Amino acid sequence: MLNKDPAPLLALENRSAHYNGLTALSGITLRIQAGERVALVGQSGAGKSTLLRLLYEQQADEAALVPQDLGLVNALSVFHNIYMGRLHKYGTAYNLLNLIRPQRKEVEAVRAITRSLDLEEKLFARAGELSGGQQQRTAVGRALFKGAAVFFGDEPVSSVDEHQSRDVLKAIVDRHETVVLSMHDVGLALAFTDRIVGLKSGRLVLDRPTRDLAASDLDDLYRD
Amino acid sequence: MTTSTAINGPSAAVPQRSPLLRASLGFFLLAVCLLLVADIEITTRDPWLELGRLALGIVTPDFFAVEDLAQALFNTIAFAIVGVVLGSSFGFVLALSFHHRAVRVFCAVIRAVHELFWGLIFLQVFGLTPLTAVLAIAIPYAGIFAKVFSEILEESDPAPLKSLPSGTGTISAFLYARLPDALSHFKTYTLYRLECALRSSAVLGFVGLPTIGFHLESAFAQGGYSEAAALLILFYVIIATIRVWARRQLVPFYILVSLIFLPWGGSISMSHVATFFTHDIVPYPLRVAETFDATTLSALWAWMTDLFAGQALPGIVSTVVLTQIALVGTGMLTLLFFPLISPKFFGTVGRNIGHVALVVIRSTPEYILTLILLLLWGPSMLPAIVALALHNGAIIGHLIGRHTETMGLRPDHAKGLNLYFYEVTPRIYPQFLAFLFYRWEVIMRETAILGILGITTLGFYIDSAFADLRFDRALFLIAITALLNLGIDALSRRIRARLRLKSRLDAV
Amino acid sequence: MIREMFKKFLLSAVVLLGTAVAAHAETFVFTAIPDEDETRLKTRFEKVATYLSDKLGVEVKYIPVKSYAAAVTAFRNDQVQLAWFGGLSGVRARKLVPGSQAIAQGEEDKAFETFFIAHNSTGLKPAASLPKEIAGKTFTFGSKGSTSGRLMPEYFIRQAFQDAPEKVFSRVGFSGDHSRTIALVQSGAFEVGAVNFKVWENEMKAGKIDPAKVSVIWKTPAYPDYNWSIRGDADKRFGAGFTEKVKTALLEMKDPDLLSSFPRASFIPASNSDYQPILDVGQKIGLLDE
Repeated sequence: MLNKDPAPLLALENRSAHYNGLTALSGITLRIQAGERVALVGQSGAGKSTLLRLLYEQQADEAALVPQDLGLVNALSVFHNIYMGRLHKYGTAYNLLNLIRPQRKEVEAVRAITRSLDLEEKLFARAGELSGGQQQRTAVGRALFKGAAVFFGDEPVSSVDEHQSRDVLKAIVDRHETVVLSMHDVGLALAFTDRIVGLKSGRLVLDRPTRDLAASDLDDLYRD
Repeated sequence: MTTSTAINGPSAAVPQRSPLLRASLGFFLLAVCLLLVADIEITTRDPWLELGRLALGIVTPDFFAVEDLAQALFNTIAFAIVGVVLGSSFGFVLALSFHHRAVRVFCAVIRAVHELFWGLIFLQVFGLTPLTAVLAIAIPYAGIFAKVFSEILEESDPAPLKSLPSGTGTISAFLYARLPDALSHFKTYTLYRLECALRSSAVLGFVGLPTIGFHLESAFAQGGYSEAAALLILFYVIIATIRVWARRQLVPFYILVSLIFLPWGGSISMSHVATFFTHDIVPYPLRVAETFDATTLSALWAWMTDLFAGQALPGIVSTVVLTQIALVGTGMLTLLFFPLISPKFFGTVGRNIGHVALVVIRSTPEYILTLILLLLWGPSMLPAIVALALHNGAIIGHLIGRHTETMGLRPDHAKGLNLYFYEVTPRIYPQFLAFLFYRWEVIMRETAILGILGITTLGFYIDSAFADLRFDRALFLIAITALLNLGIDALSRRIRARLRLKSRLDAV
Repeated sequence: MIREMFKKFLLSAVVLLGTAVAAHAETFVFTAIPDEDETRLKTRFEKVATYLSDKLGVEVKYIPVKSYAAAVTAFRNDQVQLAWFGGLSGVRARKLVPGSQAIAQGEEDKAFETFFIAHNSTGLKPAASLPKEIAGKTFTFGSKGSTSGRLMPEYFIRQAFQDAPEKVFSRVGFSGDHSRTIALVQSGAFEVGAVNFKVWENEMKAGKIDPAKVSVIWKTPAYPDYNWSIRGDADKRFGAGFTEKVKTALLEMKDPDLLSSFPRASFIPASNSDYQPILDVGQKIGLLDE
């Protein structure tokens, strides 16, 4: 799986990134093949989100995304927020129709997704009225509904409880060929991905298959 | 879960309309019903001759036809600046004591009367002097400033106040912990109000004060469209460049220049002031009665009921009908206008064009818009509805458009109409409704101006009373208008609270 | 210069405080609203002011006003001592200022007329009396306080139909201005309108009217209209015989350039009693309290 394919899906060569004069990433070289499931781990501020964003930009048109700020429209229902994952696939008139009167076909499709996320009861609740965990699952729902081959998630289950997190992550990895997640929960990262990329102060300090790693191997990442 | 939802109201598992949408729909349906009964007939047969002249005038503006143009422009700006400075100062003082019910009621009453009516009242008292113009702006604006300033203070972050050392004096606490946070909001709001004041100042020209409205009205009434176009263009430029010239450091300079160069000549006679208040505005039956007895009382009752049934009541009906339809029209146009200046939809070039369009639409006084539309469609309520909707739609559209500038979107957000309907509009909708409900009473006040053009709102009857020099009737009708405004204000506040719309806005 | 500015500043501060400032007793102020062409009022009437100043030997100033009501208010509040009023506004002003007199009128004003005009699509034809067919049409007056555009036409309508205009017509408007009345009827926005006959004639001459679209259907009987009125205390303030001097100056105004501002051929003597018919009509239709 780690053999150097000549055409990786995502590739960074010695990339750095700066924000407000501070170095967020420095000298990152990383290749990700189609089919890989990668977790980006590290302390907060290590550069996970920045790295995720750089990778996402390479596949922006094709990939599904759960950004850290979720990007939900609070005034719209869960249904609409999830449906938004396919706005680009349908004509505007149809989108408008769905805004005013949700079509049964779409409702059923979205309902199936909410069921897998344990959100069915909230299908027509407004996003602004949901708890943090429910909002996060709604954002994941939108990404799932997009039906993309590649999934990017920036801490997609940080507010979801342990048990549900597993269901959500399972739904994500089951439905996408390639998955890149930034995560702070090492246990979940080990359980749902096959490659761990560790960051510390903007540098890539670890890049190994999950099967070679134990939770304790990652302790260094969280030590100052 | 499913069983409990039957008790707890509508389940979130089935489609439901948000309260905001339901409220919008209610207002929309009401407006549609009113449209059915309102007089919106198009009666004009061949407006093209006059419209041709108008079009020709617009493309051939004549900047030299207006006498005393410089003085008129200067007066327009000077009245606005002095009016806003006085209004905001009084407003600030009133805001500090806004927790007293009496102060709140007082402010509500003074802002419930349109500046045009204040102008007409002060014209009787102070004549055609700058004092009339300045007070006509400063008084209603003080009421508005007081309300908004107090809301800004109320909603400023309470944390600094709580963290002050105990024993800090009230004034120090206010100056250190509350004012600094509020000051930038005050500044933004005052700048917005200055733009409004420029419009008010121009509008006061319609009743004779020497601003550009004076010449604009004459030019439009008599078909001097080249002259009118020149005046409007200059006015647009003043409004469009307001951020350039309205700087805080320059305010003392502007005030000084205004005080020196405004035409303060003319005299104010205290005896006329007294006559106005002790004679002119006393209801006619009381004024002519020798003794106050049962006959006088029944004459007074007859005077009031005649006035109420013959003028106030039909006036109220027209005012409300016009207001409700124009309010919904405003909302629809706002949703159409705001993308024009939003970076979410247009690039720099497109946005600049949008800005120019919105400045033109919102700076053209409703009175002038109505005059033009009147030529096009004839004298029904339609020109007034469209003029009010255009004018207010452009104002709120501008504010909402600016609001979208700071809106953060996901990197994978939708494009085009999908972006409009799914991302931007739902996000701005609560803000939009709040602006609209704030604007409700303003729209109602503005129907007054259109009364002068013969649209039979309360403003029409008030203007007639002034034209007939029957100030007792004018005051009676103004009082009724104010009450109606207070009613709308209270209703709007209640609806905003019900819909949990943000109570304070930096503008509107 | 700076001293001058400072003085102005002090003066304005005083006015701003609302303190009564004594009028410049020596300045005689007048106002006038012509029945058409309200542009460049100042330029035109400052010439009249210069003429009056030469004749009267006092400083004369003109101030422009927007409406008849504003003119009456200024007259009443002593901001102007002399005014060129319409028939109705003159009556109103003289009622409010005791001792004030009408001293002159335009030659045309002793027998003024209102023309009822109609859009040609109405099929209304010129008639010797007010055509009954105008009932049910849309109708516009001029400004609310105008004699020729409001008072007299309303009087004749009430006389012909024994009912208020709002009952006679399907819609009643106030154009605010004679020129505008013509424009509105010509465009068909209103079917019928009432307009000052002089304005009609002048606009016809100027080619602003398309006879294929709008024409006169009835001419009212004659009535007295515009007049010069002066305050009753003028003699006391400007010297004995001042009122008479003003009257003479007005009657002797022969320069067509000055007269065209009003526009009148010449001025002739007038008195308060000449306007009794206007007062009666005003009270009859309820525009004036008794």
